[in-house]
Amino acid sequence: MELIDGNLQLKEIQKLEGHTDRVWSLAWNPATGVAGIPAMLASCSGDKTVRIWQQTPSGRSSGSWDCKAVLEETHTRTVRSCAWSPSGKLLATASFDATIGIWEQIGNDFECISTLEGHENEVKSVSWNSSGSLLATCSRDKSVWIWEVLPGNEFECVSVLQGHTQDVKMVQWHPSVDVLFSCSYDNTVKIWAEDGDSDDWHCVQTLGEPNNGHSSTVWALSFNSTGDKMVTSSDDLTLKIWGTDRQAMNDGFAPWKHLCTLAGYHDRTIFSVHWSREGVIASGAADDAIRLFVENKDGSIDGPSYNMLLKKEKAHDMDVNSVQWNNTETSLLASASDDGTVKIWEFASVP
Amino acid sequence: MQAEPAKQAAADSDSKYDEDIFDPSLNLEETHVKEGYKDGFHDGLVLGQQEGREVGLKVGFEVGEEIGFYCGCVDVWNSAIQAKSSCFTPHVQKNVKQMEELIKRYPILDPENESVQDIMDSLRAKFKAVSASLSISSSSSMKLEYDGLLKSSGANDLEF
Repeated sequence: MELIDGNLQLKEIQKLEGHTDRVWSLAWNPATGVAGIPAMLASCSGDKTVRIWQQTPSGRSSGSWDCKAVLEETHTRTVRSCAWSPSGKLLATASFDATIGIWEQIGNDFECISTLEGHENEVKSVSWNSSGSLLATCSRDKSVWIWEVLPGNEFECVSVLQGHTQDVKMVQWHPSVDVLFSCSYDNTVKIWAEDGDSDDWHCVQTLGEPNNGHSSTVWALSFNSTGDKMVTSSDDLTLKIWGTDRQAMNDGFAPWKHLCTLAGYHDRTIFSVHWSREGVIASGAADDAIRLFVENKDGSIDGPSYNMLLKKEKAHDMDVNSVQWNNTETSLLASASDDGTVKIWEFASVP
Repeated sequence: MQAEPAKQAAADSDSKYDEDIFDPSLNLEETHVKEGYKDGFHDGLVLGQQEGREVGLKVGFEVGEEIGFYCGCVDVWNSAIQAKSSCFTPHVQKNVKQMEELIKRYPILDPENESVQDIMDSLRAKFKAVSASLSISSSSSMKLEYDGLLKSSGANDLEF
């Protein structure tokens, strides 16, 4: 079952230390790593802060990342998740203190320009839609909230979506259409869309066990670059690939169906999964390892199949909570762990 | 030939006599079961009605209090919108209107109607959306919340 291509490796570029508690999540600034602007990464932690790391302009693979800023004294509890707006100008942070912070870079500092309240308890995830006009958040209070971004960086709550029967772990907007996906401790993935006439958001599809869905908590989901496939990771030790009709999806919404299950590769909970621009799926799990998967080009008639490219054991000293590919420098992968560190990796051929 | 029927009759009367002896003891259990059932049913009926009345009063009060709260909020917001429609954004106004419609649709005199939970859930969600928007636009830190007599408490999950 293990297919390890001997020519490829995941090389550790640098270990970023500074957080004083577990690092939960990471986000690459989408406006960086291109046009001469060095790549910028945000990491959020149980130490209630967010750290901004940036590469010094000179080096690339020479281990030259520095901590540029520490966003502190705002959240009163763990910061669980963070996300940059598509323009790279704003950073949204989701915290266990039930609030969402909106930060803007002013000079060399980051300032909290707004705090969104409303959730009853721990906010788990935050996501911007592709145009940056909507923000979605989800919480242990089982609800998903949609906020609209108004001029002057004002925010307005547009909808409170109930439907999940347990803690909602993650929300992600589709990469091109304003359709929202959420996954939960209740083992399902729910898809939410706006009703054309009444501007009301409601659940248009639920992917659960009857649809070949997961049999335990779904921790994360990620889309491929064309937005017609999605991968989900779960406590049931599998990754599942889902697909839809690309054309119909871009027109509004088309139902998703199960394509493939990757089982037998993980023996502990898979906390994070991310699909790169180049089509490589990275997973971070509770066994401290990072695994990479890719679609088998000689696909079978029954549908796509996937192979494991490599397994990086002991990528961290403890659970890997998040893995994120850089979208512009596509061979860079960042990982965050319970061991309090962030690591930058380069995925390349062995020289 | 004639001796047999006599013997039969004697045997019959013997078994009948046996039945009579054991019948009451068998029946004793049955009669006691029946009597116990009757007593239980009667007591249960009394207790059931009493509890039904108490639960009905409690739930009725809670529902009435919550619907009344939302009704009051909607009335105040509508007055504000009438006085100066620009004070609330179109989204907030739309949500207030939807709340108003939900309240009208709530079958307050038909508690067994299936839609009661859905309507209440929708009302709660829309109320949260409106109060979240209002507390952002007013820069005060006052948060509008519904504090009923019974506050719902969530289970304490582990942090993940």
